[in-house]
Amino acid sequence: MRAVDPRRSDAFIGLGLLALCGFMAWQTSLIRSVGSGGAAGPTLVPWIMIAGTALLSLLMIVRALRRPAGPEENAPMMPSWGTLGRMTLFFLMLIGYAVAFSTLGYLGSTLIVFVAGLWLFGERRLLVLALVPLVVTGAVYLGFTRLLNVWLP
Amino acid sequence: MDNLVYLLPLFDLEVLWVIALGTFGGLIIGALPGLTATMGVALLIPLTFGMAPVMGLNMLIGIYIGGIYGGCVSAILLRTPGTPSSAATVLDGYPMAARGEAGRALGMATVASTIGGLFAAVVLATLAPQLAGVALKFGSAEYFALALFGLTIIASLSGDILKGVISGLLGILIACVGSDPITGGLRYTFGVSGFASGFAFTPALIGLFALSEVFTQMERFGQENKVTLKVAGRWPTRSDLRESRGALVRGSIIGTIIGIIPGTGSGTASWIAYNEARRSSKTPEKFGTGYAPGIAATESANNAVCAAALIPLLALGIPGDVVTAVLMGGLMIQGLAPGPMLYITNPDVVVGIFGGTFIATLFMFVFGMALIPVFSRILMIPRHILAVTIVVFCFIGSFAINLNQVDLYTMVGFGLLGWGMQKFGFSQAALCIALILGPMMEANLRRGLLQTHNDLMAFLSGPITLLFLGLAFLSMLLPLIARSRAGRGTSTPSQNG
Repeated sequence: MRAVDPRRSDAFIGLGLLALCGFMAWQTSLIRSVGSGGAAGPTLVPWIMIAGTALLSLLMIVRALRRPAGPEENAPMMPSWGTLGRMTLFFLMLIGYAVAFSTLGYLGSTLIVFVAGLWLFGERRLLVLALVPLVVTGAVYLGFTRLLNVWLP
Repeated sequence: MDNLVYLLPLFDLEVLWVIALGTFGGLIIGALPGLTATMGVALLIPLTFGMAPVMGLNMLIGIYIGGIYGGCVSAILLRTPGTPSSAATVLDGYPMAARGEAGRALGMATVASTIGGLFAAVVLATLAPQLAGVALKFGSAEYFALALFGLTIIASLSGDILKGVISGLLGILIACVGSDPITGGLRYTFGVSGFASGFAFTPALIGLFALSEVFTQMERFGQENKVTLKVAGRWPTRSDLRESRGALVRGSIIGTIIGIIPGTGSGTASWIAYNEARRSSKTPEKFGTGYAPGIAATESANNAVCAAALIPLLALGIPGDVVTAVLMGGLMIQGLAPGPMLYITNPDVVVGIFGGTFIATLFMFVFGMALIPVFSRILMIPRHILAVTIVVFCFIGSFAINLNQVDLYTMVGFGLLGWGMQKFGFSQAALCIALILGPMMEANLRRGLLQTHNDLMAFLSGPITLLFLGLAFLSMLLPLIARSRAGRGTSTPSQNG
């Protein structure tokens, strides 16, 4: 784990939020207000939220820039590069699981994801990698489909 | 008295079995560090989809009650609170366990949790109908002010107010995706038909509170303390109970009052109860050394919050804490709108929840006492196998409600968002509650404006509206004043149950 300078992270997040506000403002300007009667149209609340978020993001940037430099007690801790790499792979695996869940079906996709997930968590024992996914995937399948009558692809 | 007939379904064996299962599952989830009651409820909401409302909702309440209680197990045995609500239990629970009296500490925690839970359940059944009677007279302006109050108090209770408010505003903006509540026109769907009805609420919750925890587990994997203390004995002594009488009563009352206030949570309640017990004790120096009243105060308070937090949810439609915000999802997938109208349209559900809260608390006592000797083994469950199993549950839960693949992407996206928010000090609780209260606030604001021909002053008239707006203003102002006086930012306990 490594500490991140909260001034830098807050300033970057503030800038990201401002960019998001710009994008949302553009999208909001494209919404058509048909038959909504005066000010209380479909864009009223989005505009208030966009304006509020933009204002507070600016405040966050200013606060971050004015904060004195030096180590901080509550600085966010980021994982090591190695862990971050594994987490990225894990996230990509989840996207793949979302795609495969309907196309490949529950049993096939879950078995693959279970083995890959355990491996990314650092599990290297072959017996665990072979048996646990099989038992858990099967038990969950039977529990949901037979006991709870939940349809799984 | 007529309403008592609605208690009968609770004694159906199937319903009792489901409540017992929920309470047991919640207890295990709460006992494992990193897994919270919020996560348990979010993860298992989809399972209740096919159940009768009373059965499904009481299962979730069982998870909630069991989960909050379960937090004390690792607080006492590992010196790591299983849930944020048990953080104060570490102070006296762990020293008592370190002396070789872990069973006595766990027994005291179980008794205190049961007393606190039962006390608040009585208050729930008595107070909620009265409050709902008042709320039935609310119009658009009152509901708008109430929703605004709910939102501001959550944001103000976040560790960093600025980030808490930003989280809330983003939550409302995210809630705007989909069809507009007044005209039905589409907003921010980017041409994806799956977003026409907005982000599905339950997958968003599962991502925000369950999948985000898996990312955290992966990040911290291999760093947790695995040394658990051996458990001997089971019951607190007579002198423990005698010395803890005051702490139990005060803890139960404080927990109930804190639970009723929207936005606060069991973490806040247990710290206040602990400080109050020490302040009023004749032997304050014993606190922190493994003293039974210290455990009694915190555990009675945090479990009293469970039932008390249901009061604003059922009477006003405003969640009392983040777990009840997630519980709202359980009501919504049953097609029920929480709030005063529920007492008229579904009295069976309301009375069933009152009764279910009692039953779940009693199950919690039975399971808690029975499992004391094996708690240390439960804590040894391999965390990585659990994490991957949670992923599977997240996917099944998100898919099962609408059988829609878009919900899976929503869940994964919110999971990453939740992890990032947690990392950089943004409030997941504020975002979650904004997702719920945002549409209610928008619909009432716009409806009110349409009815009054855009007269904003209509929102500043009426005593109830003014009361809630005043409270909303104060809830933002007071923490700011307190913090500027303190000279530096202080963080309050996390809202995640």
